[in-house]
Amino acid sequence: MAPDAPSRGAEVEVRAITKRFGAVVAVRSVSFVIRGGEFFSLLGPSGCGKTTTLRVIGGFEHADEGEVAIGGTPMGRTPPNRRPTNMVFQRLALFPHYTVFENVAFGLRMKRLPEEEIRQRVGEALELVQMPGLAGRKISELSGGQQQRVALARALVNRPRVLLLDEPLSSLDLKLRLQMQEELKRLQRELGTTFVSVTHDPGEALAMSDRVGVMDSGILHQVGAPMEIYERPRNRFVANFIGDANLIDGVVQGTDGDTVAVRAGGVVVRARRAGWEQIGQTLTVCVRPERIQIGAAADLPNAFRGRVEDWAFSGSMVKYRLAAGPVRLHAAVPYLNGAPLFQVGEEVAAGWDPMQAVLVPTEAAAPGAGGGP
Amino acid sequence: MRIQGTLLWGLLAPALGLMALFYVVPLGVYFLNSFHLFRDGRIIPVWTLATYVEFFTDPFSYRIIGRSLQLAVIVTSLTILVAYPVAYALHTRVARPGVRAALALLLFSPLMVSVVVRTYGWLILLANQGLVNTLLRAARVIETPLTLLFNMPGVVISLTHIFLPFAIFPMYSVMGKLDLTLKEAARDLGAGWWDTFTHITLPLTMPGVVAAALICFTLSLSAFVTPQLLGGGRVQVLPLAVYNSTVEINWPAGAVAGLVLLVLSILAVRALNAVIRRLPGV
Repeated sequence: MAPDAPSRGAEVEVRAITKRFGAVVAVRSVSFVIRGGEFFSLLGPSGCGKTTTLRVIGGFEHADEGEVAIGGTPMGRTPPNRRPTNMVFQRLALFPHYTVFENVAFGLRMKRLPEEEIRQRVGEALELVQMPGLAGRKISELSGGQQQRVALARALVNRPRVLLLDEPLSSLDLKLRLQMQEELKRLQRELGTTFVSVTHDPGEALAMSDRVGVMDSGILHQVGAPMEIYERPRNRFVANFIGDANLIDGVVQGTDGDTVAVRAGGVVVRARRAGWEQIGQTLTVCVRPERIQIGAAADLPNAFRGRVEDWAFSGSMVKYRLAAGPVRLHAAVPYLNGAPLFQVGEEVAAGWDPMQAVLVPTEAAAPGAGGGP
Repeated sequence: MRIQGTLLWGLLAPALGLMALFYVVPLGVYFLNSFHLFRDGRIIPVWTLATYVEFFTDPFSYRIIGRSLQLAVIVTSLTILVAYPVAYALHTRVARPGVRAALALLLFSPLMVSVVVRTYGWLILLANQGLVNTLLRAARVIETPLTLLFNMPGVVISLTHIFLPFAIFPMYSVMGKLDLTLKEAARDLGAGWWDTFTHITLPLTMPGVVAAALICFTLSLSAFVTPQLLGGGRVQVLPLAVYNSTVEINWPAGAVAGLVLLVLSILAVRALNAVIRRLPGV
């Protein structure tokens, strides 16, 4: 983290909020804390309640239960115009009848600031998003990427405590999206403003955020740093949603130091101990494809033999599908010049460092939660 | 292409035929008559501009034109002022489609009553001993009854009432196309209800307002039955002048007044269209 972005403690506290739309429960008793100056992302498939949570923070919706505090102040039913937040809307919501300048100036005009200061701050904001010289343009004359930048400038010019971003990059094509991801990260680091972003794209969340909250069906499954939720997903949903995962159902046979042995079909696989597992319990071992070694490299205590069923080349990686008894495994091996290529039908050794595999409950959701999607 | 062209003309033929027979031909007859002369109860088929000269040199003509424009401006403004909040409420406060349809039917219901019947209804309501005056006196708003009949206020009230649906629906339909997140964005940027309304909602729904104004203005300008019956001869407007001249078989004078009315309507349409084109965000 940049030295000029000190943690300011709890900036946004979401305390057990529940939001219903008619009979549909959009958000179920969700709690989390966003620290000052961090880039926080709510990640989940569409309809998981992430946007509703963001809108509750922004004051566009009111929670049926629970509350939100910003900077230690409970927000209650404070309307959006009196919250220290600004929002970048999914469809940007730029004012079509105003120029770029007037769009960015809108928030400052509402504060009745002197014209001189408005001029200066709008200029600075447009420079910040690298759009100087386009102040006089109409919104309809801008490209998608430029509109995105204007929407950012329009929110940031107000110097909010917390910037809310609702799927900010979803309208952009892939290349522009990657570019804007870097741009958003740079802005956040430079300004030290707390960013709360909502996205359905795991890659985007992992790339941009200091911490990520993974949501599904209105439930917040896990909050953690990107690497933490990737390395130690708390349940099947998180494991599956963030990147690829091999999920092997089995029964706990025994423990040995830091590792646990799980019998799955005819194969015994090992994983890092979780602490909650019990002998005889049915659970799921989660291991990432790139953690699986095959061939000679699989000279590990946790190795077994499997057959190559299929493989695919994706540039940087070769992805194999292996069968070991009833267990199907996906393995991704970096493609290096001259690396051995296994053929379909070939018998190979496959295994992984037990500390690289984690246990998750076999059921998809955390206790008290409903089913998966 | 050829078949398509034939088909197109075939489809257009009934409408074009009606327009030609009942609009273009009478307008032509009108136009020709405006160059004739009316003397001693007879139309003299000479070609002259005398009727125009008479019309434009008579101060009374300008009073009638002024009255017509005044009536149109007052009725249009009032109608918009009453209709805009109704359209806004219908748009923002009524969520259920069924309720919306019922309200729309209710708003259109005045149009289902014949203009003459409706006007007699107003005669009863607006009379000195009528419902409006009785209620106002019962509520102690006024002491002596207001004169609401056979004068401008009566005509204005009745016309505003009947033009409401024509004003509400263009505005309502434009409001329906308004992106609601724009309002949220304004709120997010610190605008309260009033600022959001004046900076976002109103400017972006102006095309609807102007369209409504266009309809109301031209309808008021050509309103005849209401000024006739509720004006009691005191609200002298162009359509009445046309009617009176025509009744006296003074076709040339009627034609000139009618053409002036037509020109005024065309000017109003053009002016408001120019306004629409200059509106922001269109």
